[in-house]
Amino acid sequence: MIRTVAGAALMAAAVISGMSMPARADAAADGLAAAKEKLAKYAAKPVFVPPGEPFDAKACAAGKKMLSIPNSSANPFLKGIIDRMKKAGAEVGLEVTEWENQGQPSQWVQGVEFAIRDKYDIVDLISGIDPATIEPQVKAAKEAGVKVMTSHFYDPSDTQNPFVSSSLTIGFGEVGTVLANWAAVNTEGKANILVIKSDEVPPTKPLMEGLRSELAANCPNCKIVQEVNVGVTEWATKIQPSVQSAVQANPDIDVVIPIYDSMSQFVVPALRLTGKTGTVKVATFNGTPFVLDYIQQGLVDMDLGESLDWIAYATVDGHLRDLCGLGSPAALNVPFYIFDKANAAEAGTPAGYDQGYGDAYLSGFRTLWKLQ
Amino acid sequence: MTETVSTMTQARPAGLHLGRLFERIALLVVWVGLIAIFGALMPQSFLNWGNFSIIFASYAPAALLALAIIVPLTAGDYDLSVGATLTLSSALIGVLNVWHHLPIGLVLVLALAAGAVVGAVNALFIIFFRIPSLVVTLGTTSLMTGIVQWMTNSSTIGGIDNALVMAVVGGRLFGVPYAFYYAAAAVVVLGYVFDYTPLGRRLLFVGRGREVARLNGIAVDRVRFGALIASGVLAAAAGIVYAGVLGSADPYSGLNFLLPAFAAAFLGATTILPGRFNPWGAVVAVYFLATGITGLTMLGIPLWVTNVFNGGALILAVTISQLTRGREASDIG
Repeated sequence: MIRTVAGAALMAAAVISGMSMPARADAAADGLAAAKEKLAKYAAKPVFVPPGEPFDAKACAAGKKMLSIPNSSANPFLKGIIDRMKKAGAEVGLEVTEWENQGQPSQWVQGVEFAIRDKYDIVDLISGIDPATIEPQVKAAKEAGVKVMTSHFYDPSDTQNPFVSSSLTIGFGEVGTVLANWAAVNTEGKANILVIKSDEVPPTKPLMEGLRSELAANCPNCKIVQEVNVGVTEWATKIQPSVQSAVQANPDIDVVIPIYDSMSQFVVPALRLTGKTGTVKVATFNGTPFVLDYIQQGLVDMDLGESLDWIAYATVDGHLRDLCGLGSPAALNVPFYIFDKANAAEAGTPAGYDQGYGDAYLSGFRTLWKLQ
Repeated sequence: MTETVSTMTQARPAGLHLGRLFERIALLVVWVGLIAIFGALMPQSFLNWGNFSIIFASYAPAALLALAIIVPLTAGDYDLSVGATLTLSSALIGVLNVWHHLPIGLVLVLALAAGAVVGAVNALFIIFFRIPSLVVTLGTTSLMTGIVQWMTNSSTIGGIDNALVMAVVGGRLFGVPYAFYYAAAAVVVLGYVFDYTPLGRRLLFVGRGREVARLNGIAVDRVRFGALIASGVLAAAAGIVYAGVLGSADPYSGLNFLLPAFAAAFLGATTILPGRFNPWGAVVAVYFLATGITGLTMLGIPLWVTNVFNGGALILAVTISQLTRGREASDIG
């Protein structure tokens, strides 16, 4: 009896597995095709999509001033955005000033209080300052008639702080999906991934959710072998040994995803020391120039970037729309662009922050602002 | 002096003598034990030469930094600026070599010279203006951090001359990248100076009692000055090796090495020559901590555990050392 049942079970298992094999293969092939299709959008030169109706930006900005507070003025990415915002603002007559700081919340507090005292029209919290950290000041600013807005900070899935006037969100979840699809496509749907992340940075959560869900959807045979969480202040001391240990303990790892590209300066030496340069692929996000140089040198395989100048124009556009009661666009609408071996040289040698993305946005915004 | 020490040793009971011997090798025993545990848990991935060669090479900058710390510590001065000097040195390499296209050989000399200048500035304020070393080196740390951010524009500089990368991690001897041998050479030289030269003795005497040393005819200020310059040059050398390991110059990293390097310096003072900051002990401590961190990471344990391991190992080692010596007053700190 037992033998009969066991035999029947075995046969059933054989039949089921025989049936499910092609089904799984089909799912994998379909997923790979979907991943390829989604990636194509980011490999093409970015196209300008107007974030709203044309408006007379000069009339709107006349006599207005904006104080931009970056997460830290020592961050060249943020400093670069604000420098370009000053230029974009000058085109329409908006005075943009940076509140220089070293990343300390007490300095952000001073910045908002300065804006209230000096009767600024807009306070722009750029990338990384959570309004909840300085909520009393944000509330005071609102009560004093100063509009506090955020840019390049919230993911569309986040809930905006109630005292913030408007937010130009950035799709960190979307970034996660691009990284997932790239890993799937470049390993023929069999990626074994090591992720380096920093949970303390707010964008990490939506980015990782996007990465995980897209892998689950498009790459059934891909797996995240290990996720290593490293605090920002410990990148220099922890990332390299962690990557070395992980790729040695799990020789199957064939893709490393440091989710922010400045992490890659510690991933590259780890792969070099373990003899894995070239065999383990590195995909990352931000478009920082030295990482684009790494791509040209064959040390990193892909970097998903955004143009700082484009971000600057889009931020000025979005904030002016809110200021003048035109309704702020929900998102920053700055397209992501994939840099890899084929096009990294377009970013310049050595690479720059704005090169390689095209300049469709310049005439786009100028037309939208009725400057031409 | 040597005779006095040996007479005292002979007069001690055998049990105490064994206790001293155990104390000298305790950290080494724990290190071997740690390797055995990780080896048993991960025989394939942990117990192979490739893994150890990588540990040896990637912690070479940390080893050099620990050595940089113990020179002025032995003379009784803290040098908290070694982390910033490491950063300054690697940033100088990036700026001068990549942005200004100076030949790498000249750049390395300039980086070492910058380290010497930092040591001289520290010494000037500590020795001639009599400001506590903690305050001065904390100040120069902040000063250098600012200068580095200014000269690098707060950006990582990639593309350092490949000759440096090859000289640090490209070439290998017995499978171990050259980086390790630079640190090893520094240990041998420092070990010789500390243990077998009058200079080493003078350094120790100055650290143990400045006034007594001065009354014995030792040029105390000159010894301290030299120790601080040596510290700056060694930290700059650590910066060179670090730039070679990374192949780039990062304007922020160096400060993160400061605490682990101090932990290694103090942990090292509990072994080989207990009670004294010694180069061999410092390097054993660096690689002991590195082994622990690597093993824990390979096991997939979250990284916060490594901080607990670093701090816990330091406190435990110093405590064991103190217990073995029968709770006599500590010579350090």
